[in-house]
Amino acid sequence: MDRKIVGIVSGKGGVGKTSITASLASLAKKDEQIDVITVDCDVDAPNLGIILPAEKESSIDTHDTFTALKAEFIEEKCINCRKCIEEQYCEFNSLTWDNQNSIPIVDFLKCEGCGACRVLCPEHAFKINTVKSGEIIAYNSEMGFPLIYGKTRLGSTTSGKLVSDVKEYLKSLKEFSQSNLILIDGPPGIGCPVIATISNLDYVITICEPTPSGLHDLIRVIEVIQQFNIPFGVVINKSDLQSPFQDDFKLYINETGYEILGKIPFDLTIPKAMSFAKPVVDFAADSEASIAIKKIYENLKYILWNNTFR
Amino acid sequence: MSNRRPKIICVTGGKGGTGKTLCAVNIAIMFKNEGYKVLLIDGDVENPNTYLLLNGRLENKQEVPFFKPKIVEEKCSKCGICAQNCMPNALLHIKGAFPIPMLTLCSGWRLCYKICPENAIEANSKTIGWTYSTEIKGLSLILGELKPSEARSAAVVEALLKNLENVVEYDSEKFDIIILDTAPGAHCDVELLIDTADVAIPITEPTKFGKLDLIRIMELITLLGKDCRVIVNRSSLLGFRDQFLKELKEENIIILGDIPLDSDIVNSYCQGTPIMDNNSGFNKEGEGYQAFISIFGNLKQWLNINNKIKVKKLNG
Repeated sequence: MDRKIVGIVSGKGGVGKTSITASLASLAKKDEQIDVITVDCDVDAPNLGIILPAEKESSIDTHDTFTALKAEFIEEKCINCRKCIEEQYCEFNSLTWDNQNSIPIVDFLKCEGCGACRVLCPEHAFKINTVKSGEIIAYNSEMGFPLIYGKTRLGSTTSGKLVSDVKEYLKSLKEFSQSNLILIDGPPGIGCPVIATISNLDYVITICEPTPSGLHDLIRVIEVIQQFNIPFGVVINKSDLQSPFQDDFKLYINETGYEILGKIPFDLTIPKAMSFAKPVVDFAADSEASIAIKKIYENLKYILWNNTFR
Repeated sequence: MSNRRPKIICVTGGKGGTGKTLCAVNIAIMFKNEGYKVLLIDGDVENPNTYLLLNGRLENKQEVPFFKPKIVEEKCSKCGICAQNCMPNALLHIKGAFPIPMLTLCSGWRLCYKICPENAIEANSKTIGWTYSTEIKGLSLILGELKPSEARSAAVVEALLKNLENVVEYDSEKFDIIILDTAPGAHCDVELLIDTADVAIPITEPTKFGKLDLIRIMELITLLGKDCRVIVNRSSLLGFRDQFLKELKEENIIILGDIPLDSDIVNSYCQGTPIMDNNSGFNKEGEGYQAFISIFGNLKQWLNINNKIKVKKLNG
């Protein structure tokens, strides 16, 4: 079977991306036809590793990434002309004037490393350095398949780039060549890290819940997925939520005709499994949620390798 | 009471789906109930949901422009300085030819425009999102929306913050309280909003994910030098409340309060009627309602704004 890379995203946060990713990975591991690798691209809040911890501490590989650019002020070269402030070299307001010492100060958090100060300063009193932007962590999980995730350094402003780095790193894993299913847990939203996550994927699973904001955010994330022309299916979590909005939600789903991979009823075994840091399909294999996720797994497999839905 | 700067409170959370918007909206409503003039700013521009929880309509749509370089060929000397200095390599320059902008790579830093010795680069713009402003249920709402398939959420947040700057600078009497609602995560757009606020309220839930993401967002809040207090939402989930609150205490995390699972809250959320709205008709003895009352009391005490409004009312 040829390799398929699948992303799990949602417009709205907290709708179950990580729980479902971990369960799908566990099911894939038990499937003889499948060699799975898991990836967490929610680099601002990577959580998949909590459910899928390392087999042993010593097997954890950590690589620093240096994609963030930041300006550095070189005091010896400065002639205190104030041009950098007066002519507003910086688009990000990261230069302020230190009156006491008559020199500019670079605000590390605000600086995006665009290089304007470096190019524009007549005395060349700024340079641009690459600084640590985050980490890529890779290990073999307790379940026996690899997990890779990225984690941004706070304030480094490069989530999207780190996501691309994580996806690139994936290809260097020795397990990559024989793998045939890559499951990527994505970030919430529709911005830069989401776009970086879904670009070049074979399939996207988008998870939603039947509330007004759930639907609103689903529509927005689908708009992005469609722009990239990636086939996708919808998973409805908490599908039987007691909500006055259920009818509107069902109407929308029926009218659009999107591929529905499955519906997971509201089931407390999901948060319970999470609190024991286990995929729900292992924690309570016969629960309603687990049965629903198994069905989703079968549907996914069928779509990925048979090209038609049921 | 002149020159009084409004208090700016940022509601954030790290993890998605913990109830940021729910808390931001209801805190705003509770301030309004007491006669404060409240501005709510929805800075979750990837998925702005405040207006759905308020069942309002978006009005006064304004485009958020983003820099796009335009090469004026009559002026361009084909020197290539623009391309050499463009960090994201968004200008392609082949010797003897005009540079070609590649917009998907462009970060909008305007460096090319600033440094071109021939002034041959014009600052054009494309629309990457919109801002809206409206009045709903006695609140003023300003909301930003990122255009789907655009990546630069932070630029839309910056447009919102320009609005806010104008209010604070030129019309500081207009509002007493400004509430900022953020996106999940700890990305640059969230960072901008926390940095703008006086204090931050991270919302979390009693799970391992909730705690991990809470600690991470609190690191960012601390890095930005802001004070924060936490709200624990869905606190009755699976009976972990006491254990979770104890864990937070051990980490020296101060909480404003916790909100149990409550069907009134779910219904209010889905109907677009904030539970704390005076006209909402929800049970005022309900657990969710009472939780918000208690949180609001603690919040006012923390911000030490209880007395100011009384003085103001007497004067007014």
